[in-house]
Amino acid sequence: MSWYAYPLAWAENDALRQAARRWQRRGLLTAAQQVAIEAAYPMGYERPILFLRVGLFIASLFGIGSLAGMAGTLTGFDVSPILYSILIIIGCLVGLELVIKNFRHYRSGLDNALLYCALLAWGFLVAYGLRDVLSDSLGNPALWLWLLPVLLVLLAALLRYADPIVAAATFVIALSLLANGLLQSSAGRLLLPFAVLAASGALLLALRRLPARADYFYYRSAGLVLRTLGLATLYLAGNYLVVREGNAELLGGGSPSAEIPLAFLFWAFTAGIPLLYIMLGLRRHDRLLLSMGLLALAFSLFTLRTYHSLLPPAVASAIGGALLLAVALAALRYLRTPRHGLTAAADEDAEPHFKLETLLTAQTAHAPAAPEAGFQFGGGHSGGGGAEGQF
Amino acid sequence: MAIPTARLLARLVADDLLPPAQAAAIADDERTRPFSLHYELRALLYVGSVLLVGGLGVLIYENRDSLGQEAITALIALLMVASFTYAARHRPAFTWGEAPRTRIAADYLLLLGCLLFLVLEGYVQYAYGVFGTRYGLVTLLPAVLFFALAYRYDHRGVLSMAVTALAAWVGVSVAPLAVFQNTDYLQAILSRPALGLGLALVAAGLASERWQRKAHFAYTYLLLGSNLALLSATSLFFERTGLAAVSCWLLVLGICAGLVWYARRTQSYLFLLLAVGYSYVVGTVGLYRLLQAGQLEDLLFGLGALYFPLTLGALVLFFVKIKKILRLK
Repeated sequence: MSWYAYPLAWAENDALRQAARRWQRRGLLTAAQQVAIEAAYPMGYERPILFLRVGLFIASLFGIGSLAGMAGTLTGFDVSPILYSILIIIGCLVGLELVIKNFRHYRSGLDNALLYCALLAWGFLVAYGLRDVLSDSLGNPALWLWLLPVLLVLLAALLRYADPIVAAATFVIALSLLANGLLQSSAGRLLLPFAVLAASGALLLALRRLPARADYFYYRSAGLVLRTLGLATLYLAGNYLVVREGNAELLGGGSPSAEIPLAFLFWAFTAGIPLLYIMLGLRRHDRLLLSMGLLALAFSLFTLRTYHSLLPPAVASAIGGALLLAVALAALRYLRTPRHGLTAAADEDAEPHFKLETLLTAQTAHAPAAPEAGFQFGGGHSGGGGAEGQF
Repeated sequence: MAIPTARLLARLVADDLLPPAQAAAIADDERTRPFSLHYELRALLYVGSVLLVGGLGVLIYENRDSLGQEAITALIALLMVASFTYAARHRPAFTWGEAPRTRIAADYLLLLGCLLFLVLEGYVQYAYGVFGTRYGLVTLLPAVLFFALAYRYDHRGVLSMAVTALAAWVGVSVAPLAVFQNTDYLQAILSRPALGLGLALVAAGLASERWQRKAHFAYTYLLLGSNLALLSATSLFFERTGLAAVSCWLLVLGICAGLVWYARRTQSYLFLLLAVGYSYVVGTVGLYRLLQAGQLEDLLFGLGALYFPLTLGALVLFFVKIKKILRLK
């Protein structure tokens, strides 16, 4: 049995087809070449269009829940919850493997639901086993007993299924484990921001090695999620507001919060990290870094205003808005002709992260099936919902 | 150059799908292409305008006594006229089909003008009480104006605003969140007009497609209309008893069947999802109430254990095999 749950070719063929579509739109490939590439690397799996995926996911979740409920009703809820969750885990995992193998589902909603249910049941099982020692505080000295087994299973699931949401869950649990360990002593509490900084930095460095791996395309979406979260925590762990209020919260609340040690350092992080992200994003042509930098900058300004309000909010908003407008307009004008490797022109390749207009008018028409000879792939109007190819 | 691009190109060359020279050209383009800041800069423009307008709005509001009502009215009216003038100067030629986009700014300014019209109308009503207690007129006026503008300027955003204004005129809001904010919404007094409006919008959508009069507006009409009709029919179904409940139940299922038919014809999967969701919930509750009416509640407990796994399993199967079942492309 292979370590990967899904054939590697599925993700790689996707990447090849997407790249071909992109290059054809930019006029780097002829239509005939693109058609040949689409035919050579077919979509070998089932993944319905988004709305059907949502429907399938919800129906599967409720279906699994109702099956569990039926089992409970039939046995009169006499069986131990431990046996019960083990049954759910085994049932879901067997179902998951069968669905992948026999029906070739790849993140279709059905396999997602089965995987998440199995993992949730595992989390419940461990929590049930520890029900006498657990409380919901992050500083609980026994919490690691739950976090560690859950983390190990999540890691295994991440490596096998490469699911983006499992990646996010793994990240959160790993961070919680780190925090839980450090919160056992007061020195650890002071070190917590630095530990999170170091851990996020290590994660980001490790992720830089991902593109060189042979199975990069298989882990690409999970890696993107981890990178986004890593950039976010790297910034937030150094943010003055987060550190100060988090510290106050851990010390038992009380407002206004007390000043923190090394405040100047955290102010430097608050100011410096967004600028670093934006600068590196522009230099390396890295859209994720740039977007995270802009978001971080907005949060830094919010942090500044929380502790030092210089102007009344309305005045600050008007002046800030006018400044922003002026900067954006100047940049649009300056970059009308490409300079320093940057341009203000729309790029076929530069998909916006959030197209409001598309969401509103939500053209759900999907890309055409296997194109006839001579079919022109012009305009890229339907954008491809990801559901094309043979059935 | 990024490693993945190099690997993709190497794979294409190795599989004889790309001549090496062309692969080198693509690699070169990937390496030297300028980085587009188009959407980032537009997002900054948008945030900047929102901050500026919001800040100015609050400032004007705080100083409304010293500024005077006339000055504020004149300012809003001036901005509105300026927006509409710009949009009018770049308007597309009228067509019953989809007009080509002339200028993106004109699109946005038309929307802004419509929003400013609402602000102006609200302000003159607040300051001068122009409309008195004729609240119907207050909501009907923007509806008529927005419908005219949507058709003349071929703008689906303005069309959505027109439908919302029309719904406000009828006494409800089509905005999805209103369901949660406004408990009055679920009262039967409003449900019947809302149901009527929803069905009328659906009919308008189908008609615009049938006679090719702004056929691309059909999606907006159908989405807003079917949601409104389904929501109000569902809420009527929950409130009523007896024959009225049965007819609402049938109505919901009928609308859902119509949506499935439409989704099949136009490959619009959102409608399919809506239809399946509504018909499952309303169908299940209807069955439950039927058994209740027949004094068969005892049956329910035993049935529930089997009913949900079986029907939900069937639903999963339906989604998995949807292409075959509905003979979709």
